[in-house]
Amino acid sequence: MNQQPVVSVRNLAIAYETARGLVPAVRDVSFDIHRGETLGLVGESGCGKSTVAYGLVNYLGRNGRITGGSILFQGRPLVGQSEEALRKLRGNQISMVYQDPMTSLNPVLRIGDQMTEVLTVHQKMRKDEARARCVEMLRRVYMPDPDKVMERYPHQISGGQQQRVVIAMALLNNPALLIMDEPTTALDVTVEAAVLDLIADLRRDFDTAILFISHNLGVIARVSDRVGVMYAGELVELAPVQEIFANPRHPYTQGLMRCVPRLGSSKLDSVLYPIPGRVPPPHRLPPGCAFEPRCSYAREACRAERPALRPLRGTAVPHMTRCLFSEEIDPKQWRPPDDFALPQPANDGVTGETILSVEGLKTHYRPASASLLGAFGLGRRDVVRAVDGVSFSLPKGKTLGIVGESGCGKSTLIKTIIGLEDMTDGKAEFIGFDLRRRAGQRELALIRELQMVFQNPDATMNPSYSVGQQIERPLRRFKVVPKDRVRDEVIRLLRAVKLDEHYYDRLPRQLSGGEKQRVGIARAFAARPDLVLCDEPVSALDVSVQAAVLNLLLEIQREHGTTMIFIAHDLSVVRFFCDYIAVMYLGQIVEIGPAEAIYAPPYHPYTESLLAAVPIPDPGATPTHIRLQGNVPSPANPPSGCRFHTRCPRRGLLPDGGRICETDEPPWRDAGEAHRILCHIPLERLRTIESTGK
Amino acid sequence: MVTAERSLQLPASPSRWDRFKARLQPLVRSKTALVGLSLVMFWVVAALFADDCLINPACWFGSPDYTPRPLIARYDPYQSFRGAGLQGPSAEHWLGTDRQGRDLWARIIHGARIILVLAPVSVLMALLVGGTLGLVAGYFGGGVDEVVMRFLDAMMAFPQILLYLVIIAALGPSAVNIVLAITIAGAPGIARLVRSLTLDIKTRDYIAAAQTRGESPWYIMFVEILPNARGPILIDAMLRVGYAVFAIGTLGFLGLGLPPPSPDWGSIVNAGRKFIQAGHIWDALWASLATASLVVGLSLLADGLSEQLNKYR
Repeated sequence: MNQQPVVSVRNLAIAYETARGLVPAVRDVSFDIHRGETLGLVGESGCGKSTVAYGLVNYLGRNGRITGGSILFQGRPLVGQSEEALRKLRGNQISMVYQDPMTSLNPVLRIGDQMTEVLTVHQKMRKDEARARCVEMLRRVYMPDPDKVMERYPHQISGGQQQRVVIAMALLNNPALLIMDEPTTALDVTVEAAVLDLIADLRRDFDTAILFISHNLGVIARVSDRVGVMYAGELVELAPVQEIFANPRHPYTQGLMRCVPRLGSSKLDSVLYPIPGRVPPPHRLPPGCAFEPRCSYAREACRAERPALRPLRGTAVPHMTRCLFSEEIDPKQWRPPDDFALPQPANDGVTGETILSVEGLKTHYRPASASLLGAFGLGRRDVVRAVDGVSFSLPKGKTLGIVGESGCGKSTLIKTIIGLEDMTDGKAEFIGFDLRRRAGQRELALIRELQMVFQNPDATMNPSYSVGQQIERPLRRFKVVPKDRVRDEVIRLLRAVKLDEHYYDRLPRQLSGGEKQRVGIARAFAARPDLVLCDEPVSALDVSVQAAVLNLLLEIQREHGTTMIFIAHDLSVVRFFCDYIAVMYLGQIVEIGPAEAIYAPPYHPYTESLLAAVPIPDPGATPTHIRLQGNVPSPANPPSGCRFHTRCPRRGLLPDGGRICETDEPPWRDAGEAHRILCHIPLERLRTIESTGK
Repeated sequence: MVTAERSLQLPASPSRWDRFKARLQPLVRSKTALVGLSLVMFWVVAALFADDCLINPACWFGSPDYTPRPLIARYDPYQSFRGAGLQGPSAEHWLGTDRQGRDLWARIIHGARIILVLAPVSVLMALLVGGTLGLVAGYFGGGVDEVVMRFLDAMMAFPQILLYLVIIAALGPSAVNIVLAITIAGAPGIARLVRSLTLDIKTRDYIAAAQTRGESPWYIMFVEILPNARGPILIDAMLRVGYAVFAIGTLGFLGLGLPPPSPDWGSIVNAGRKFIQAGHIWDALWASLATASLVVGLSLLADGLSEQLNKYR
């Protein structure tokens, strides 16, 4: 390309003023983005991805500033421009899309008003003209019924539609540069897939330069032309998307790819290799290569000086790397370090006796009514059927994964099992105990055998007590060990989760997210329970930490023969980790069976759509075109017949356009080996649908 | 807690003194808090060492032949100097004397003793009552919440001063009744604060973790929730001590404070009020200044603390 790039960043350095002095957040970052090109920036949290984006529009907050380098936007320098000039530019030429659409939309303005304002303020367009443009733009982002949407308030449309509105708004001025900061991270996988489709289409139509930031390799592979990998504020590798996935040449990039499970791989046939250590804090960077302390290839030369970003030798593609030995390190020759203990999943092939059996479990809520009448019990109150008739059984020592979009009742189901919610109806039995009562009223012997690992590492530990005190509590309460041995047992547990005894007196705020999650796991396993319920234990963690935590769970499970129920929204992680999988939709299980059977045909149409939506970290993968329309209906008023019929992409396979789906509840179809599908479509027909397990 | 002792055995962990210093850090770093702290500390030290009771073992056990020897106060607050009534400040009587010829400096300093016991004790009582009610209402929610909070709302509908007057008028002026009045009037406000904090904290995962351990509601309320609400509660309490100082002063001024001849600040202002027009402003001036400086000191301390707490959030 010989034309002038839209943005040209050279040696950009950004620092934040803090109590510790000037802390560098971004150092020495250089890249160009041309018209119609998408540059993906990927890296773990705290690597400076977002700071680069904010630096481009000089939106760094009060304590941040650009300390070096230059940014050329369409040939004009941006650094040193006045606030006023930058504001004009931001409105007219540069647009940004953020992670949470709700924070970008003004909740008290109608969508139409917010959108037209962009045009009337920045381009002085007439009101009716602006309105027509907005409707047209909404149509371009595939918004159903754009005229009606213009009249609605942001809270009246779904998250996916909100993000569409934000994208449409960003495109209204036909910007030269569009910055997208994790635009799909807050969305469900099915919605994410649709938004990514949209971004891919817009890239073709609008000829805009896009800077796309994500922590998800799959998402990056889907939308980018070129990919920049960031680590500790530096760009460590920059190459075309095909090249970076096929031939990563920086040890960090290679490490990242090794620690995410591929869709379809399982704990039996693959291993996740976490990157040891953690990202160095920006005020204590190592003197040499920033990745050297965690790098298995590190040599003396790496410690001596900071490597520069340089072109890879001996290749025709423009491939930049910040490693001294990039030519020598072949990802295919990589061997795990000797001290890396291979996690061996517990699979002796023998199916143990059933430890947990649930039959027709229902959990209904009566939401508190907001109206005055409701306070007196007079208002009409809809019952929310969060879990509505779930049955399954789980053999000892196995792991059951539960997947589904948000709001399908996954969390409510396990909260009911553990006794945090009241069971409305049904039966649940666990090693001879009845699970109908709440945790507070259960016998100590039962409470001890049922423990839970929580999602949010920042909320899983009480900030007022030290790590040791919090692990001690269950030990003392359940009298797991004699009183004088409690401290030794805590230290043993800390060692088991790969933390040393110095952590005993640390307070939660002194720990990283991964460390907090480990302590949470140690606390859950302290009572030596038979069944551990994990509610998205790795979703809030960075991929390298996620791999370590998953390995840890596998190891502890093997050691104690613990049974687990595992919720995650990442289908690759669930496939990797679980023996059995249940797919939930609107409070019901629609498909259940052994993990390998779920990820291969015959699929329930919902499972098929979920699998099709998973972004694959392989730019060569052709995206499947099954996309779910609309939102999950309200569990207060579920559709009649088959609950999935309003969104089902396969209804056409039935005679009469699937009228039966609207009227009759579907039957369970047995596909063998405990694999069951809840669908009207006969198994033979479902089998003919192609595999989406790439 | 348990680990406080345990930490001493570990060489790697910080000593108690270090922890104490770390706790004080936010106080020293904020100028506002520092000014407030010095004002408050002035009165605390003056009250502690008004006479030698604190350092004389004879006083501790109420020995019959013990008579307190004034230190900072310089004179006994009840001693009348014959023919020295209504004097202005002098080298002999730093702040002057009142109508009965008693030294004002001695009376103000001893007045600090009373107020610095009564105000914190009454706030502590209010914390105990209000905190428990707030925790119970917030944690259990539902009907319990409705009943408790509506009852407290009804109490809050009365002006505080009216509550004080009614309670003291009914029970008679005494130190115990003053504490009781401030406790009853202050508890609803504290309950509201604690309830709102509880509503927030009880949704955290660590509370769910405690519930899945089958912990009793009281354990969860007092051990898991309360320590995490301490920051706002502490700041609120400090402001409330300031209000209590005012309230006790007001009651004294209205003649509902401690009965004479107690060196109550409010009573001193009330007694001195009559002589202002006669040109003897000192009684009223010093006692008012004392009240004001203590209240301002407490407010500044609370402001500085909350500023620092927010910074580290």
